Amino acid sequence: MAVIEVEHLHKRYGHVTAVRDVSFQVEQGEIFGILGPNGAGKTTTVECLSGLRQADGGRVSVLGLDPVRQRDELRQVLGVQLQSSGLPDKLRVREALELYASFHRQPADPVELMHRLGLAEKAGARYKKLSGGQQQRLAIALAMIGRPRAVVLDELTTGLDPHARRTTWGLVEQVRDTGVTVLLVTHFMEEAERLCDRVALIDRGEVVAVDTPAGLAARAGQRQRMRFRPSAPLDEELLRALPEVAEVAWHGPVVEISGTGNLVHAVTAQLARAQIIAADLRVEQASLDDAFIALTGHPDTD
Amino acid sequence: MSTVLHFPRRGLRTLTAIQAKLLLREPAALVWLGLPIVLVVVFGNIPAFLTPAADLGGKRVIDVYVPTLAAMVPLFLACTALPMTMASWREKDVLRRLSVSPVPAAGMLAALVAVMAALATAGVAVIVAIGALAFDVSTPGNPGAVLASFVLGAAAVLALGLLIAARARTGPAASAMGVPLMILNFFASGLYFPVAQMPHLLQRVCEFIPFGAVTAAWSGQGQLWQHLLVLAGYTAVAGPLAARTFRWE
Repeated sequence: MAVIEVEHLHKRYGHVTAVRDVSFQVEQGEIFGILGPNGAGKTTTVECLSGLRQADGGRVSVLGLDPVRQRDELRQVLGVQLQSSGLPDKLRVREALELYASFHRQPADPVELMHRLGLAEKAGARYKKLSGGQQQRLAIALAMIGRPRAVVLDELTTGLDPHARRTTWGLVEQVRDTGVTVLLVTHFMEEAERLCDRVALIDRGEVVAVDTPAGLAARAGQRQRMRFRPSAPLDEELLRALPEVAEVAWHGPVVEISGTGNLVHAVTAQLARAQIIAADLRVEQASLDDAFIALTGHPDTD
Repeated sequence: MSTVLHFPRRGLRTLTAIQAKLLLREPAALVWLGLPIVLVVVFGNIPAFLTPAADLGGKRVIDVYVPTLAAMVPLFLACTALPMTMASWREKDVLRRLSVSPVPAAGMLAALVAVMAALATAGVAVIVAIGALAFDVSTPGNPGAVLASFVLGAAAVLALGLLIAARARTGPAASAMGVPLMILNFFASGLYFPVAQMPHLLQRVCEFIPFGAVTAAWSGQGQLWQHLLVLAGYTAVAGPLAARTFRWE
């Protein structure tokens, strides 16, 4: 059974349609990404499935519950980290965790959670004194304190420096490894590529595609490109004979091959047969960035 | 009630304790609680305030000021501390985060009111005790009526403060509504000018302002039941309205 089901979600604010038609299913134990530019409707979607907003149309089910009608029950099994949310400046880390633990029937141990998320030495620190990365780690901890079966993490790494972002990614994977289903909202392509098992690409209130990050990139039809310096003279025709290869070009001693499908495997296998070693091998694959432009027809303006 | 089922009672206790701690970490808490206590001690040491005055009907100034200074405590807390705490939580998206936790809106308000009510009770008790023990301010003729009016009065201003707390988007917006409300109540309770020395019409108007009604009940002016009814009316209207119109963000 899907953990989160969204079918034809529609949400307006006055005359502005924030979400036109969004459908996707999140399966047990995966990290599912909602990817799209700012203003695409990601946060509204998350607010509808967290029970903060009533949808104007469509159906939303989270762990078999209706987020609005069964809101109280949902709060006990779904952990939510909203994009913009804070804590009182003078609240200490330990106090925040103990407070949120007290709201749940079977909470996790705050001390253990602080250790797991690297907050133990900050237990007595006030919220205001924490770095951005520490605040986000606390946000994850608060989302996890109720031992939820699923968590929603909205723009978790926005505003973090690259190092803190990578640390946070590791923690999200850790959360998934404890068996918790993760819905991750992001506008960073790199983040979705690194973390997500599957991604829903949302643009202007609609789902453009749902696939694995690699599947999305492939669907975008982007070519792959590889460059290397052959260790021995190389017969171009050997490469051109491969169905995966589209073009072969030379830049001095370096050959550049572009093509589609399983290009890298086909070419390296052919080189092995000819007993040629590919020195300084570089491979460029289509990224989610390319996929985004190909599938939406415009670059992510963010 | 589903709220009772899904929200453990220890949650409400912890929320109340944390709110009390956070409030006492604010330097402003010294003003809310300390200023009235300092004032009662200062006034009690002004010799002129300890002699009976003819225009106060033979009472001393200190006799009139103890209830007024006692009233400052719930007024400071209800009109400034309560709305500004809640508004700053709203402004910093603290409420938004709480809104995705199992805390119900009524629980949020209840915890904050519980803290304010406890602090107000403590503050009033200290001031009355200082007045009675140090400056020989006599216990009022009808202690039951006075206690009832003070409890209802505190409830009325807390309910009004709660209404501001439920709606104000920012700290400055909250104080823009709370401070005039507080000053109006100070005026009606005779902080700036003893009520007994006001023109008769103004005295009557003041009886319809929460702490004007409390002061009137304390000093035995007018009908007691009328004062209590005015106070209960404020609470009955403003309290539920606050819970119904509560804004998480």
